[in-house]
Amino acid sequence: MALDAILKPINRLGRGTASALAELGYAGAILVESVYFALVGWRHGQPVRPAAIVEQMRQVGIDAIPIVLLLSFTVGLMLGIQFVSAFSEFNAESQVVMAVAKSVTREFGALITGILVAGRSGSAFAARIGSMNVSQEVDALYVIGIEPVRYLAAPALVAMLVMLPTLTVLANTAAIVGAALYCAPVLEVSPVVYIIQTLHALEMRDIWEGLSKSVVFAVIITLVGISTGFGVTGGAEGVGRATTRAVVLSITLLVVADMVFSFFLNR
Amino acid sequence: MKNECTTEARDGLHLVKVAGEVDLSWSQSIRKAVLDALGRAPAVGVDLSAVTYIDSSGIAALVEGFQSARGKGQKFALVAASPQVRAVLQLARLDRVFPMVDTAEAVTS
Amino acid sequence: MDAEPVIDVQRLNVWFGKRHILHDVDFRVMPGEIRVIMGGSGSGKSTLLRHLLGLLKPRSGSVRILGTDIAAASSAEVLRLRRQMGVSFQGGALFTSMTVGENVALPLREHTDLDENTVRIMSRLKLEVVNLGGFQDLMPSQLSGGMVKRAALARAIVMDPKLLFFDEPSAGLDPVVSAELDELILQLRDAMRMSIIVVTHELESAFKIADTITVLDRGHILMTGPVAAVRASDNERIQDLLNRRPRKVEVDTDEYLRRLTEAEVD
Repeated sequence: MALDAILKPINRLGRGTASALAELGYAGAILVESVYFALVGWRHGQPVRPAAIVEQMRQVGIDAIPIVLLLSFTVGLMLGIQFVSAFSEFNAESQVVMAVAKSVTREFGALITGILVAGRSGSAFAARIGSMNVSQEVDALYVIGIEPVRYLAAPALVAMLVMLPTLTVLANTAAIVGAALYCAPVLEVSPVVYIIQTLHALEMRDIWEGLSKSVVFAVIITLVGISTGFGVTGGAEGVGRATTRAVVLSITLLVVADMVFSFFLNR
Repeated sequence: MKNECTTEARDGLHLVKVAGEVDLSWSQSIRKAVLDALGRAPAVGVDLSAVTYIDSSGIAALVEGFQSARGKGQKFALVAASPQVRAVLQLARLDRVFPMVDTAEAVTS
Repeated sequence: MDAEPVIDVQRLNVWFGKRHILHDVDFRVMPGEIRVIMGGSGSGKSTLLRHLLGLLKPRSGSVRILGTDIAAASSAEVLRLRRQMGVSFQGGALFTSMTVGENVALPLREHTDLDENTVRIMSRLKLEVVNLGGFQDLMPSQLSGGMVKRAALARAIVMDPKLLFFDEPSAGLDPVVSAELDELILQLRDAMRMSIIVVTHELESAFKIADTITVLDRGHILMTGPVAAVRASDNERIQDLLNRRPRKVEVDTDEYLRRLTEAEVD
């Protein structure tokens, strides 16, 4: 019995690790296949349709623009408030421009956008593919001769790879405008001058850091949503569980990946 | 039997003769032959007596021809359809839609 | 005529974990044949069907469809095979984001470069065949259960497949619609020369359409034979199925006690 108490957790840990590895492998396979179909699928009768990509771009990108702008504007404003109050303690208000510019472009623009899209689209991927799985629509794709990865995953991945960086650029802009509205009066400059100062403070690598993160976020959100969807069992309840799991897991991975990125890029 | 589609010009009538197994691989050429014939003659018959099998892409070619003929007030009929063709037409109740005649002469009458 | 079987399954064994789902299954269907696979729930008929559709690959034994070994086929060969197969799933499995017409036309759009006119005519023709003429612009969610099933059949036959699979055609349908579907299955075979595999547990429908019936029970093929032979069979399990008798469950004392008392393994 004592042995049992030791072995059971080890057993459970082993199984957990095995299933996590299996899932990682599965997501990796989806990534490789999606890229394969997007590049050379048309040569093997499995083309990724531009119309499907455009439709996905609308759903994950265009439709998300208002909420991304609103949220990042608010976050920008908030950062402005915090930085102004923090820096004024050392009489270093002039550094606010630099601090806001760098933290938005390197960190918050990409992160806010990523979390938002994970909530909107990661869950949508999981729900859509999950319910298709439950109703045998995925099987139907197979027997019609349409590779589900080509038809469901590849357009979503391509759309996300284009739209997430685009949304991130919009988010950066909205956040800086938000910060300008609060900070410019405090710094006794006009908002336009504030923004010009921001542009001077920014280096190319600040923008790249945020954008390269958003590319990684796009891959994470898509793969987690889609692989969770394909793994759904157990009817409508299973679809609900998968949706929740897709959001929680992709946001967790997003934040961890962000931290790792920031660590290595700022050494 | 060899798959073949030829057009014969008779007085006031083009007769498209189809033979063999009509399937996706060449039904588009029948479609073209039928539409071409309709472009050149006021009446078109499609002879299906030597057709041993016809799939729905072949039927679709005939439907398109018939639709185009009706739109322009031309005469169009299926001539001497084989039992195999009739069976396929009956599936979609098209035997009651197409004019079906036994001889090429009957197309124009 | 070529006498090559359209389906040739040999010594198929399937395990899910420790459970032995199919035992040494041999299954052969000839061109133009209507074969009914019968069996209760848990008999393994769905698993057999999934192997015939190539959704599962055999680990032990072989599955040949239209002469191609599913396990060894390249993806190009599988694709060629799929164009000659049509499947009507139990729940229809229509794509909910597309109209009925787009559903039916999808295989044509994906696999052929036919003229758009031809695609439209062909797909609407199939809707006429299943008595759904004019319904092409509705969404699947606007259809009744019987209509979904018929639309799914239209999609399954839109490419004029050589092989048609039909999973539980009459489940949940009213008797008239189900009789119409039976009639249609017979016509499709005669006019379009399809070979048709129907999985069902509805006896009446099975006896009406089948040339031959395969009876599956707990993973074993009890018999394969013409309708009359199945009806006349003196196998007790087959007679149980035919006469809707509850099966006699044998009780093994040791096994029973083990099931009740064994500690859980997780």
